[in-house]
Amino acid sequence: MDKNVQEERFMGMIKFTPPLYKQRYQFIKDLVGKYKPKKVADLGCADCTLLWMLKFCSCIEVLAGLDICENVMKEKMHRLSPLPGDYLQPAERSLTVTLHHGSVAHKDPCMLGFDLVTCIELIEHLEESELEKFPEVVFGFMAPTMVVISTPNSEFNPLLPGVTLFRHPDHKFEWNQAEFQSWALNIARCYDYSVEFTGVGPPPTGMEDVGFCTQIGVFVRKYSQTSETAHFEKPTKAAYKTVFKAVYPSLKDEKYLQNAVVSEVIFTAQVIKRSLLDHLKSEHEEYNDGPVEIKSKFQHSKNCVSEDLEKLAVGKSLEPFVNGNAVYVPLTKIFSFPKVNQLCGTFEKLCKLITGKVTLSSDGSGVMVNTEHE
Amino acid sequence: QERLFPTVLGFAGSETLPSQPSGHLQPQQPCLLPLLSSGELAGRGRQRGPLSVPKPEEFQISAGFQEMSLGDRGGRRRDFHDLGVNTRQAIEHVRESKTGSSGIMIRLSTNYFRLTSRPQWALYQYHVDYNPQMEARRLRSALLFQHEELIGRTHAFDGTVLFLPKKLGNKVTEVFSRTRNGEDVKITITLTNELPPTSPTCLQFYNIIFRRLLKIMNLQQIGRNYYNPSDPISIPNHRLMVWPGFTTSILQYEKSIMLCTDVSHKVLRSETVLDFMYNLYNQVEEQRFRDVCTKELIGLIVLTKYNNKTYRVDDIDWDANPKCTFIKADGSEISYIDYYKMQYNQEITDLNQPVLVSQPRRRRGSIMPGPAVLIPELCYLTGLTEKMRNDFNMMKDLSVHTRLTPEQRQREVGRLIDYIQKDDSVQRELRDWGLSFDSNLLSFTGRVVQAEKIHQAGRVFDYNPHFADWSKETRGAPLINARPLDNWLLIYTRRNYDVANALLQNLFKVTPSMGIKMNKAIMIEVDDRTEAYLRVLQQNVTSDTNIVFCLLSSSRKDKYDAIKKYLCTDCPIPSQCVIARTLSKPQSIMAIATKIALQMNCKMGGELWSIEIPLKQLMVVGIDCYHDTVSGKRSIAGFVASLNQGMTRWFSRCVLQDRGQELVDGLKACLQTALRDWFKWNKYLPSRVMVYRDGVGDGQLKTLVNYEVPQLLDCLKSVGKDYNPRLSVIVVKKRVNTRFFAQSGGRPQNPPPGTVVDVEVTRPEWYDFFIVSQAVKSGSVAPTHYNVVYDSSGLKPDHVQRLTYKLCHMYYNWSGVIRVPAPCQYAHKLAFLVGQSIHREPNLSLSDRLYYL
Repeated sequence: MDKNVQEERFMGMIKFTPPLYKQRYQFIKDLVGKYKPKKVADLGCADCTLLWMLKFCSCIEVLAGLDICENVMKEKMHRLSPLPGDYLQPAERSLTVTLHHGSVAHKDPCMLGFDLVTCIELIEHLEESELEKFPEVVFGFMAPTMVVISTPNSEFNPLLPGVTLFRHPDHKFEWNQAEFQSWALNIARCYDYSVEFTGVGPPPTGMEDVGFCTQIGVFVRKYSQTSETAHFEKPTKAAYKTVFKAVYPSLKDEKYLQNAVVSEVIFTAQVIKRSLLDHLKSEHEEYNDGPVEIKSKFQHSKNCVSEDLEKLAVGKSLEPFVNGNAVYVPLTKIFSFPKVNQLCGTFEKLCKLITGKVTLSSDGSGVMVNTEHE
Repeated sequence: QERLFPTVLGFAGSETLPSQPSGHLQPQQPCLLPLLSSGELAGRGRQRGPLSVPKPEEFQISAGFQEMSLGDRGGRRRDFHDLGVNTRQAIEHVRESKTGSSGIMIRLSTNYFRLTSRPQWALYQYHVDYNPQMEARRLRSALLFQHEELIGRTHAFDGTVLFLPKKLGNKVTEVFSRTRNGEDVKITITLTNELPPTSPTCLQFYNIIFRRLLKIMNLQQIGRNYYNPSDPISIPNHRLMVWPGFTTSILQYEKSIMLCTDVSHKVLRSETVLDFMYNLYNQVEEQRFRDVCTKELIGLIVLTKYNNKTYRVDDIDWDANPKCTFIKADGSEISYIDYYKMQYNQEITDLNQPVLVSQPRRRRGSIMPGPAVLIPELCYLTGLTEKMRNDFNMMKDLSVHTRLTPEQRQREVGRLIDYIQKDDSVQRELRDWGLSFDSNLLSFTGRVVQAEKIHQAGRVFDYNPHFADWSKETRGAPLINARPLDNWLLIYTRRNYDVANALLQNLFKVTPSMGIKMNKAIMIEVDDRTEAYLRVLQQNVTSDTNIVFCLLSSSRKDKYDAIKKYLCTDCPIPSQCVIARTLSKPQSIMAIATKIALQMNCKMGGELWSIEIPLKQLMVVGIDCYHDTVSGKRSIAGFVASLNQGMTRWFSRCVLQDRGQELVDGLKACLQTALRDWFKWNKYLPSRVMVYRDGVGDGQLKTLVNYEVPQLLDCLKSVGKDYNPRLSVIVVKKRVNTRFFAQSGGRPQNPPPGTVVDVEVTRPEWYDFFIVSQAVKSGSVAPTHYNVVYDSSGLKPDHVQRLTYKLCHMYYNWSGVIRVPAPCQYAHKLAFLVGQSIHREPNLSLSDRLYYL
């Protein structure tokens, strides 16, 4: 088998599995997994595939895309919208996805304060004038914590079948390793970043000097900077046009949190009510035959004991009980359910969120669940 | 006869099929619910305008468009609108006019909006060629739009086919573009088609544009409709979420192209399939869990967490779990856990859960894709389970939100159109294409036909036409044919002894005035177990037994099923099952006893009331289907046929059709026996047969017209040489998005029962009409759509409409007018009973009675 692979290589039939573009995206995903950035921007996001992959990364709270071609972005941008499932069980994290139409040669304050900016196969598409402005915009102005730049390695081209001049007709240049690295090191020096070089698409054995098929520079800012100062220092007019914006439902948003808590409280109360009634029923079926008797017991408790019980409940309020046509379920009991507990954190928060949304007992210590139609 | 033409033309040829005794013309369809094969879709090319000769250039429209990636989901869509079934053309006497005449005029509006285009509007279709060839679609696009000054900003382009709202100067335009490499490319843009606004491609185009608009408005597509996720209605008691939304479709209606839009509600559940399984696991015994779970979940639609796709659960693989592996498209093997982690960052936490299996509905090209495997933890449930549907409280909670009054409905529909008018980007898109929507609901004039008179044993009753109900008027009046209760059984459990007695006493009170002679029932106490019931039946039912009455203690289905199965097949005796709780309220027991007495009378072959049926020698047939989604893929068709002039007696049979079998053979046999029975009763054969066919799904009309109708004709022919009855086949559809609003007193209201609409919102290529026959107490009334797909009766449309409305009065389980003609409802009842409980063809000795009520 090794022999076959060797043969293929000699014939210049280099094939990457998974395909190289997927490996580039995976590289970014791994980086995100490692450094857990909150704000990520993809410059030259094209059809938003990388952004779409990144939206599943739970550390990211802000995703932004920028491209010079509005139509390409628009073509598939709707896959960046929240899915029905995102509304059904809103996530803990918040996420906003924005797409901007504009050029990397222009500064726009919407790109400030990012943790990671990716430029995947972008620079080789830039005209000379744009490439000149690029370092100042990305490293000087945006100044994110980390920048990843990938570009073709021209030394690898002879190994690729059918590549004569450039790998893509729109490429303005393709650099060899030395060219890319000197450009990158120069930028790093100017803007106080460190840079490390790596790549995807390893060269065949014996030809290691060629380098990776795609060369990648990972830049890390050496000075620290709070996003506030960044905003403050760099008041610039907007240069980009927003073409898409999606705000994902999140439990950080009071509205969604309240909905989730109210739903969970009512559902939990129902579960408790059911088990209580089932319990009472089975208890009574041991002695009597039929539901008539249970009813009379309910009646009894309503007429005579309910007030006492309610007083009792204020004191103890630990266990649910039947009160006329309703079941009293103590909030403390509901709060002890893991899902409710997790959502609210504190008992006070629980009380605050359900006020006015759930029918409570007169003293507010428990949920009243109707037993009619049972 | 071979198909000599390519698919597109061959399809056109089929327009005249209904009058040919075909069957051999096209390959037999293997099942009742054939999914459209891809060939049929190509046929969508030419369809429109049944009254005009199709323009030849339209034949060429394009396979290209079908593949256009303009569509939001791409790929081929099923034709849910039954386009291209041009049945009216073949029915000579309605070619000129299909409208009725009787009744009082009524001003109506409806949930339709006219689509208007500027004068002389056309859609121009171009073919675009590149020299040298360019492969990448993006590049082709980029090169073409270097000439935006020529082409304009508004366009739809899939890489090959270009649509423009304007005509370029020349038929063939050549332009040159330069790639960034400096390579010159010659682009040839050739006009291939000039599509008039009503052409099918244009209709498809409008729908695509409209879906774009809905997306611009941030609505979420689920299945066929669009929903607004930002303001959901939450029903936490049942963990339900309801999303308001819209169904929309743009079609050619009678006079113009219109957008029909109705409010739709999507029921979603904020729990995953795995949550649901755990909940269920806590409720049932362990050994029953898998069975119950399978039963609850199969047939449900689930929504995946990680992408916006819906799947139908066809099976649960209990032996598999998320650790299992599968082979990816690139040939590598990966476990579900790793796959979902890698692809969507979705963690699967429960490693012991089973997996769900969904069979693909559609083939992709010529390849039938393999089943989809889904992880319960990553799927949300949607819609309601059977159990939820039967939960009265839940349905009540739900209907508060989903049942809209005419006024609310009209307001909601108006909001969509308002939004379209106000949103700038939506307006720009429309303006660029030269299209716009009317801002007002379509309004027109309908007719309200007169109420019928109810005849009952020599007496004639009028009813309040607004309530469409005569239970009060006819209470206590003698019946046309009252069957005696000489010898009957009343079976009850010990706990319900009092209830049984109360029932008996009340029956004694109510039956005499109806003319029912009743002896005291043979009272039998029984243990509350299925076997005990069956033993009692075996020991006590004789051939003289009129009817068996079972007072059940609970709504446990297995007991009911066992009783019904035994008494419908092995020992054919009518039976009446009532849950004791129904009779538990003393204040209502008499009213319920009255209803029970009427129902029992029908089951024993009695007749209640009648109405005037002017047509003589007419046999009316009703057909409806029940699809068993749980056990196997069996479908059951109920078939009923009238036996007498008054439409008070009905013959019935049913067809059980396994997967791969044809329904139509069974229907032929049914019709043959029905004719034989009719002959026995009347000593002659009917000169007219009128078939009301319910249970035809969206997109199945063509199959019905091409296969079922010819078979029915064949069957009539085979009866005898000189026998040549007139046949009408009317497709009945209850689930339509059309709603009518009567504008009276300044507020939109439900139109009164008897409202007939046969203009504007009907389809030009069909002989169709709507009737609102029933009255509703809350919400908006839904009209029923009738489509006469075959008619050699020569009857005027007015007569067909009137007869149809009359038949809605003849359903004996309801002293009022119902939504569909009685034979359809009878057929539905029969199919449902057989499909749900009996699973076998009932004994034919019951076939002349309404035992299935």
